[in-house]
Amino acid sequence: MSSPSILHVDMDAFFVSVELLDQPELRGRPVLVGGAGARGVVAAASYEARAFGVHSAMPSTRARQMCPHAVFLAGRHWRYQEVSTAVFGIFHDVTPLVEGISLDEAFLDVSGGRRLLGDGPTIAAEIRRRILDEQGLTCSVGVAPRKLTAKLASEAAKPKASIEGPVFGPGVVVVEPAEELAFLHRHPVGALWGVGPATRARLDRLAVRTVGDLAALPEEAVVAALGNAAGRHLHALAWARDERAVVPDAKVKSIGHEETFATDHHTLETLDRELLRLGDAVATRLRKAGVTGRTVQVKIRFHDFRTITRSETVPEAIDTAHDVVRIARRLLGDVDPSPGVRLLGVSVAHLAEGAARQLTFDDAETPGWTGATRAVDEIRDRFGDAAIIPAALTGRRPKRRGDSQWGPDR
Amino acid sequence: MKFRCERDVLVEALGTATRAVASRGGALPVLSGVKADLTGDRLVLTGSDLDLTIQVAITVAGQQDGVAVLPARLAADIVRALGPGAVHIDAEGDEAQISSGRSEFAVRLLPAEDFPRLPETPGDEVTLDAAAFEEALKQVVRAASHDDARPILTGVLMAAEGDGLRLVATDSYRLAVRDLPGTTVLREGQTVLVPSKALGELTRVLSGAETVRLRLAERDATFEVGETKLTTRLIEGEFPNYRQLIPNTHPNRLTVGREPLLEALRRVKLLAREATPVRISLKADGIELTAITQDVGQAHEDLDAKYEGTEMVIAFNPEYLADGVEAVKGDEVTLETVDALKPAVVKSVESQDYLYLLMPVRVS
Repeated sequence: MSSPSILHVDMDAFFVSVELLDQPELRGRPVLVGGAGARGVVAAASYEARAFGVHSAMPSTRARQMCPHAVFLAGRHWRYQEVSTAVFGIFHDVTPLVEGISLDEAFLDVSGGRRLLGDGPTIAAEIRRRILDEQGLTCSVGVAPRKLTAKLASEAAKPKASIEGPVFGPGVVVVEPAEELAFLHRHPVGALWGVGPATRARLDRLAVRTVGDLAALPEEAVVAALGNAAGRHLHALAWARDERAVVPDAKVKSIGHEETFATDHHTLETLDRELLRLGDAVATRLRKAGVTGRTVQVKIRFHDFRTITRSETVPEAIDTAHDVVRIARRLLGDVDPSPGVRLLGVSVAHLAEGAARQLTFDDAETPGWTGATRAVDEIRDRFGDAAIIPAALTGRRPKRRGDSQWGPDR
Repeated sequence: MKFRCERDVLVEALGTATRAVASRGGALPVLSGVKADLTGDRLVLTGSDLDLTIQVAITVAGQQDGVAVLPARLAADIVRALGPGAVHIDAEGDEAQISSGRSEFAVRLLPAEDFPRLPETPGDEVTLDAAAFEEALKQVVRAASHDDARPILTGVLMAAEGDGLRLVATDSYRLAVRDLPGTTVLREGQTVLVPSKALGELTRVLSGAETVRLRLAERDATFEVGETKLTTRLIEGEFPNYRQLIPNTHPNRLTVGREPLLEALRRVKLLAREATPVRISLKADGIELTAITQDVGQAHEDLDAKYEGTEMVIAFNPEYLADGVEAVKGDEVTLETVDALKPAVVKSVESQDYLYLLMPVRVS
């Protein structure tokens, strides 16, 4: 059998590591990135912080209780994006088959590079070396015959937190085809994709703790416990039957922004100003990406976390703040904000490339928004995003990507 | 109410009246019904959604006068499903028997007293040639908007223009203007805005007829074709000033066969998906149509044509362009352009009574 050629690369504590790169004086201290305010969540924790039990997606207030001396950073999404782009550049040097999962995680299929670059384990080591040399960051790589086991292998390669400081992992874990089943069967069943608390409870009743326990059951028994589709699927995974290929990154399906507010909005008037900021930012990103969209979606989360979305599809492709806000406003107009709105999101989907846009007679009559928008873009390119903003937002700065993404700072 | 009628006659009459019936009952449940009103041998069927009312009169073998409101879709479906021959309808109390041969249906009626009194349009009647009016409507209605958020644009403007009648519609992407010279319907300066949905229904009724009688009032308009009467509420509001949109001069002029262009568009637009446009490259010795959809493929077609002007590439929504070319009469059409971002005009070579103005798609 040939050596494994599916790689799962996962950056180690990515957001925190980027911050430490830029602020080396924080090294060795527990550092958290996320929303520091009452409603924030932790987006990333350094290994020093993890030793106190802090993990990502934990409410920030809880993290503070567990680790009061941690340094809390608001997060700079643009910077992570910048570093991520460089890291993905390294992936693409190795193979065109790169499937990004998030900014700091990707699957790579390197089976085509064997003769030129070496086998999977060789390429994995080379990727780690280049990311460390070029970006000063560490990552963990799993190498296995398929995505399922590659992901588990990268987990096994990771550093572990301890009170004495991080314990470095092997960095690269290779799962040879012959030992793949044994490796998979050692894992707790929760390591399989699609096994959440509900499924785990049902499997518990069958005394299934590990993937091996699950594999040992006849398929019919798993189907009886979990239903036809889920049962067959999990049983197949337990035997490492996972035929999903590494799919090169799908095109972006929508572009949007959302923001959690420091205090709830109760009136359409104040919410409208937020809508204007978000719509302006979304439209700017559409134009930067050279795309137009036809569907505008508004997402509203109320104080009790009840979340609704409203969307509208229009015949002409749009990319101006004027159009995005006009449609988003129409959608928001039907919503009663009086119970309190804690989060508002605006996104544009149904994207088409090449910025093709059906013009209307309004465009013919006056230079209109097309001309004004072009001027806005030119000014922002030269003087920065804050140089020109909608008049209703005077005194505020424009929305930037990643602003308050994990909850407001105050 | 009791009568007998040939199935085919009743099917057609029910079908026509039902087209105005509200798709959902809405505020008035009785509007999901069709009213049948029998006097002697004359049966009048009425369907309405309050904005549009269609009334059809047919001759039946009347046995007992009366009024009943039948559930419209169900009644139409039942009568259509019956075997050919005579259909008997007998409405008594809150039920109607519909029978033919050995089939018999009993359907619950809607309360006739709830059926609203519908407006009668006052004013003088004007008679128009049905075929010419039908053709004009078909040319213009296509450019009207279907977006209820912009009610004004869902209407067709009827205005006195010179010694004739002018019809105008626009959905803000294209504009259709048709003149009917010598047709006097409105006073000088008078305009009405008729819902395009009503005019779409009218074109169905018009086909094959000789004349249409028209009455226009402040709030509504009535069109009568033979024994069919269509009354529509008018749209209130100011139609946009369309005149300023039509460019005075067009430096570039393409002349091309209407049918070959339509066929080429039909083919090329297979590769113009998701609102991607068809690009037309205009050159002195002919034109080239191109459609490219990312990740799907592309289509090219060359077409013989005569072009005078600056060489350029202009892009259109293929549906919108085909709509305009199709609406033009004659074997040859002209496409006049200013530049790739300004409205283009589609016209017939033979006659100047129709104009279709279309905004391009910006592809920069």
